Amino acid sequence: MKTMTSLARAAAAAVLAAAGATAAFAQEPVKIGYAIARTGPWAAGAQVTQEPNYILWAEQVNAAGGLNVKGTKRKVELVALDDRSETETVVRSYEKLMGTDKVDLILPPWGTGANFAILPLVQKYGYPLLAPTATGRKLLELKNPYFFALLQQPDTMMNALAEYLTARSVKTVAFIYVDELFGLEQAGALERSLNARGIKIVEKKSYPLGVKDLQPVLNDIKAKNPDAFVALSYPPDTFLITGQSKAIGFNPKVFYTAVGTAFPVFRDKFGPTAEGVMGLGTWNPKSGPAAKAYFDAHVKRWNKEPDRWASAHAWAGLQILEQAVAKVGLDRKALRDYIAANEFDTIIGKIRFKNGENVSTPGVVSQWSGGEFEVVWPPDRATGPALFPKQPWK
Amino acid sequence: MSPRRAIAATLAAAAAVATLPWLTSDFALSLALTCVMYAGLTVSWSMFSGVTNYLSLATAAFFGIGAYVTAWGLGTLPYALLVPTGGLVAAAFAALFGAAVLHLRGAYFAVITFGLGELVRHAITYFEKTYAHTVGRVIVDVPGSTAVFLTVLAVSAAAVVTALAVRASRFGLALAGIGSDEARAETLGVGARRTKVAGFALSAFFAGALGAAMAVRWTYIEPNSVFNPFIGFQTVLISMVGGAATIAGPLAASVVFSLLTEFLRLQFPYLFLMLLGALLIALVLYLPGGLASLAPAVRAWLARRAAGDARG
Repeated sequence: MKTMTSLARAAAAAVLAAAGATAAFAQEPVKIGYAIARTGPWAAGAQVTQEPNYILWAEQVNAAGGLNVKGTKRKVELVALDDRSETETVVRSYEKLMGTDKVDLILPPWGTGANFAILPLVQKYGYPLLAPTATGRKLLELKNPYFFALLQQPDTMMNALAEYLTARSVKTVAFIYVDELFGLEQAGALERSLNARGIKIVEKKSYPLGVKDLQPVLNDIKAKNPDAFVALSYPPDTFLITGQSKAIGFNPKVFYTAVGTAFPVFRDKFGPTAEGVMGLGTWNPKSGPAAKAYFDAHVKRWNKEPDRWASAHAWAGLQILEQAVAKVGLDRKALRDYIAANEFDTIIGKIRFKNGENVSTPGVVSQWSGGEFEVVWPPDRATGPALFPKQPWK
Repeated sequence: MSPRRAIAATLAAAAAVATLPWLTSDFALSLALTCVMYAGLTVSWSMFSGVTNYLSLATAAFFGIGAYVTAWGLGTLPYALLVPTGGLVAAAFAALFGAAVLHLRGAYFAVITFGLGELVRHAITYFEKTYAHTVGRVIVDVPGSTAVFLTVLAVSAAAVVTALAVRASRFGLALAGIGSDEARAETLGVGARRTKVAGFALSAFFAGALGAAMAVRWTYIEPNSVFNPFIGFQTVLISMVGGAATIAGPLAASVVFSLLTEFLRLQFPYLFLMLLGALLIALVLYLPGGLASLAPAVRAWLARRAAGDARG
C-alpha cells in the first residue's frame, strides 16, 4: 500500500510540476472528483448522459480562463474514476475522493442505486450532490440535506402524461412496467393520475428486468384495443417493445415508451419507424438559445448528439454548481445552503429546489417527429405540434 | 504447520488486522474490507469446491440472500444477530438446493449453480413486488465503517479457522476423497451425498454471512445489485489464481488480486481490464496450480540457499 500511495504521489507531483512550469503564477486548480461507469452494464447510460457532459463542461470552463471562485478564476481539474458498475466500488471511490484526496467538489455517479449508496458519505463529508440520473420518492424521503435531485420525479412526469391524454380525450389505457424501483414508482404514479382523471385502465402488467420477449403480452394488449399504450421501460426493453409492437401491427393512438426513447440512437436505429413514438423527454435544441448552444458544443466535441432527457439535467447541474461557486466560493456548507435557497438559470429553464427536489421543471411529454424529439406537452414548453393519433408504423 | 498452530496464527493475524480502523483512512479501510471480504468468500468457496472439484457459481446467490436478510431485518433485529442469521438462511437454502442437484457433476453442476443466482433474484423480485409492493429496500441507521470492518473480519477469520479445522477432520478427508474419486470414496464407506450437502451448506454459510455484513454499506438494496454474478465469478477466479485446493493460496490471492485491481483501476482507468485480463491469461498458462504452487519452489530455493550458506 505504501509504495502505491507514494507512487501515486510522485506521479501527481510530476504532473503538477509540469503544469506549474507552463503557468508559473497560476492558482491551484479546483479539483472536482467523480466515479462513473466506463465498464459494465451502467456504462451505456453513463457514457451517453453524464461523463461526456462533465468533460465538455470542464474544457469549456478552462477555455474561458477557469472557474470563477468568488471572483478569482481557477482552472478545473477533473479527478475521474471508473466505478465498474459496482455499488461497493462506487462507495470506495467516493471515500477516496472525499476522505483521502479531499477534492474541492464532487459530481454524482450514474443511476439511482449508485446515488443512494453514497448519500451517507456526502452527508458525512459535507459535499453537495446535484444528481441528474437519480429519480424516486424514496431517495427524497431520506431528507439528506446535501442531496439535490435534478430529474423530474415520477409523479410529475406521469401527471403530465395523464394531462396530455385527457386533453386528447383518451378513454382507455394499457400499461406495462419493468419490475424495478423506477418502473414501480412510475406505474404507481400513472395509475393514480389516470384514476383521478377517470381514464380507464384496461390492462396493467409488469415484466422482469432483462426480458427478451414481450410479444405475448403485447398481443393480449392489442386484443383489448386501448386508445393509449404506455411502457414504463428501460432502454433495452424500450427497443424491444417498439420493435415487437411494429412486428405485430399494434398501433394505438398513443404509443409511449419511457427511458431510452430520448436517446438519439433510438431515432438512428428505427429511422421512420420512430415517427410518432412518445416518451420521457424534457428539451431539444429548439427549446431555447442556451439549449441550442449546448447542443452544438456537444455535437462538435463528441460527434454525437446528447439525449433529449437527462443530458440536459446533467448540464443544468453543472451550471448550478458554477453559479453557486461564483457566488460563495468553495466553502461546501455555504454552497449547500446557497443551492438550497436560491433559483438558478439553466438550459432547461429556471430551477429551484425544495427539500432537495427540483420543483421548477414541469413534467414533459415528448414525441419523435421529423427526426426531432419534439416537446409536445405542456403547451408552454412545446417545440412542435403533437402527432395524434399516431400514424401507422413505417 | 499443524492445524492448531495454523489456527493460532490465523487468530493472531486477524487480531493484528483488527487494529486497521484506528490506523488508516476511510479509503484504505474499505480497500482492506474488500480484501478481507474476498478472503472469506474464496476460502469458504475452496473449502467445498476446491477440494471436491464441484465448481459452484452460486456464491452470488448466497451472498445476495444474506444481503436481503439484512435488508428485511435491520430495524427489528440487531446487526450482530443478522449476520449469522444471513449465514444460516443461506446455508439452509444451500442444503435444500444441494440435496436436489448435487448428483450433477462438472459443467452441469456449474451451470445449475449459476442458474440458482438468477432463480433467487427473480424469486425475490416477485415476492417483494407481490407482497411488499416494492422492489428494493432502503436501509437507514446503519452501523459505522469500523463495526462493518470488524464484523466482516470476524466472519472471514471464522471461515479460515473452519477451513483449517475441516481439513484436519474426518469430514475434510471425506470431502477430499470425493474430490479424488467419488465412487471409490463411497465403496470405502463415505456417505457421499450427505457429505457433499453438508460441505456445500457450510461453505454457503460464510457467503451468506458476508452478504449480510456488507449490505449495510449500500443504503439501497435491490435484487440486481446484490445478486451480482460478478461476485461469484470473481470468487472462483481468485480461488483459482491462488490455488483452489489450498487455504493459504486463495487467502494470499484475495489480497494481491484486490489490491492489484484497485491499483490498476486508479492508475490506468481506461486500460485496467485489459491489463488484468492479460495477467490472468499469463497466470493460467504458466502457473496452472495457482500462486500456491509457487510455495514448494520457494521453500526449495530457501532450503538450497540455507544449504549453500552452511557449505560456504
